[in-house]
Amino acid sequence: MAELRRVLPLRTAVTTSAGLASAAVNFFAAVEVAQYAGGRSAWLALLVAGLLITLSAANFSELSGLYPSAAAIRVWMRRGANDRLSMVGSLVYMMTVVLVVAADAFVLGHVFTAIVPAVPGLVWIALLLMIVTWANLRGVKVAGYIQDGNGLFLLGSLMVISVIGLMHVAPGHFAGVFHLGGGFLQSVALGVFIFVGFEWVTPLAEEFTDSRMIPRGMFMALGLVAVAFGLFTLAQQTLLPQARVAGSLVPQLLVGQAALGRLGFWWMVVASLTTAMTTFNGGFVAASRFVYAAARERVLPPVLARLNDRLVPQYALLGLFITSLLLAAVVYVSGRYVWLINTGAAVESFMYVMAGFLVINLRRREPNRARPFRVPWGVVIPGLSMLIFFALGIGSLTAASDLPGPVPWSLAFLVMLTAGAVIYVYRVVPRLKARSRVAPAPSRPSEAP
Amino acid sequence: MADRDLRAALRDFASRCNDNERLRQMNRDWTRTIAVRPSEDEPVFLRYEAGEVAVTDLADPDLVVEGPNEILCAIFTGETTPTEPYMDGTLLVRGSQDDMMRLDIISLLIWGE
Repeated sequence: MAELRRVLPLRTAVTTSAGLASAAVNFFAAVEVAQYAGGRSAWLALLVAGLLITLSAANFSELSGLYPSAAAIRVWMRRGANDRLSMVGSLVYMMTVVLVVAADAFVLGHVFTAIVPAVPGLVWIALLLMIVTWANLRGVKVAGYIQDGNGLFLLGSLMVISVIGLMHVAPGHFAGVFHLGGGFLQSVALGVFIFVGFEWVTPLAEEFTDSRMIPRGMFMALGLVAVAFGLFTLAQQTLLPQARVAGSLVPQLLVGQAALGRLGFWWMVVASLTTAMTTFNGGFVAASRFVYAAARERVLPPVLARLNDRLVPQYALLGLFITSLLLAAVVYVSGRYVWLINTGAAVESFMYVMAGFLVINLRRREPNRARPFRVPWGVVIPGLSMLIFFALGIGSLTAASDLPGPVPWSLAFLVMLTAGAVIYVYRVVPRLKARSRVAPAPSRPSEAP
Repeated sequence: MADRDLRAALRDFASRCNDNERLRQMNRDWTRTIAVRPSEDEPVFLRYEAGEVAVTDLADPDLVVEGPNEILCAIFTGETTPTEPYMDGTLLVRGSQDDMMRLDIISLLIWGE
């Protein structure tokens, strides 16, 4: 095998995995986890969620070693299940990116409202999404080390500020840190959301020559995220009255202020902004590439593969911008975001179920293919992860949302999303594929578009 | 025999690239060596430099494209897009995603959607 001239180091696997998991909406998720866990024991729920996610990380490690591909889940599902399930799963999974972007926009809007109350947060959201879209359309690339460094900046900031804050807490305020509330299972289920995105480092597998880097990077990143958000949750629940945290739309700024005064407040403002911008940019780059590739294979309309003069899939990017802005506007204006977190946690949980299934099924279908990383103990870990994450996914979907009425809105939204994807794959994709089969024969360069 | 077919496909591909003014402009600063490696066979190398591309015997690639010989020939003669075999795991690529996407864009600009 010819060796590559340039390869990525382990550091990039860690920073990418940790950076992609570190969305600004995690601050709200941490508050919600605490509400179910019964307050101060929320850190335990996060720890348990992190430990359970290592089971899934093991599954992703085997899949990534088996088929290292930027198309990741699309390839694995196609090999381990079938093409149509792969298309449905990939479309729903990609929607999670848009959900996270919209949720981060909500956080960002409220951070700006806290520092510049005169300008509505929605204006800032639109402006910042436009800046990221424009930069991407112009082919401006945020250097990888800035993108990844922002994730580490957030995690480092959380650790430092939380530890400083915890040093101010009177010993009596630590009472209850081991008390498990009645909704502990649901708090673990929602804790999954804190780690969402750690596995999105697997599409980089082709850029590493040593296939052990991805598993190592993911496991180290999970540890960092668990420690940082565990400390943040503990600080949040011991430094501040629970009612104040639960009612706040900027809990991270409150913790920063309680720990370090104005310096802490502005530190967390900067961390929130850089994190949200990183999520916007990383989300748009990843999702626009997925849309481009899907359009190239006629899963999506071919117009979405059209490039501008900077070789950027412009319609794919504009479509993502419009979808994200609309969703962000709906969430911001309504002020309802919990259903978004619940849905995102459920989609991720079900994707982890799928990862376990694919590991088992691909061992049966392709037993002789090389596996640089093999999950130990046969089917125990993949099987166990399927059971656990199915239960956690159901837990997320049935958790109380902030939308009115007795309807489980997250479940309803996910069913609609999946049904839409199924109908699209069965009705529209065959027509798109049929059109490509009657397309003109390959032309000489002078005839090309 | 398999190697000869692939070399012929790659020479035709290189010729199409070099005849295309837009591609030459697009790739004028893109200096890369691409190893196209049929399964269980020796790789053939494509070298992009100053907008021109040639089949060479250079090693030390930036990007490795690997798959069954017939799939590689089909891709580099425009009978299929690289995306389809890539998405089903038949085509494996090693290297930067930007380079990979550039290669796909090149095939898009030569043979269209």
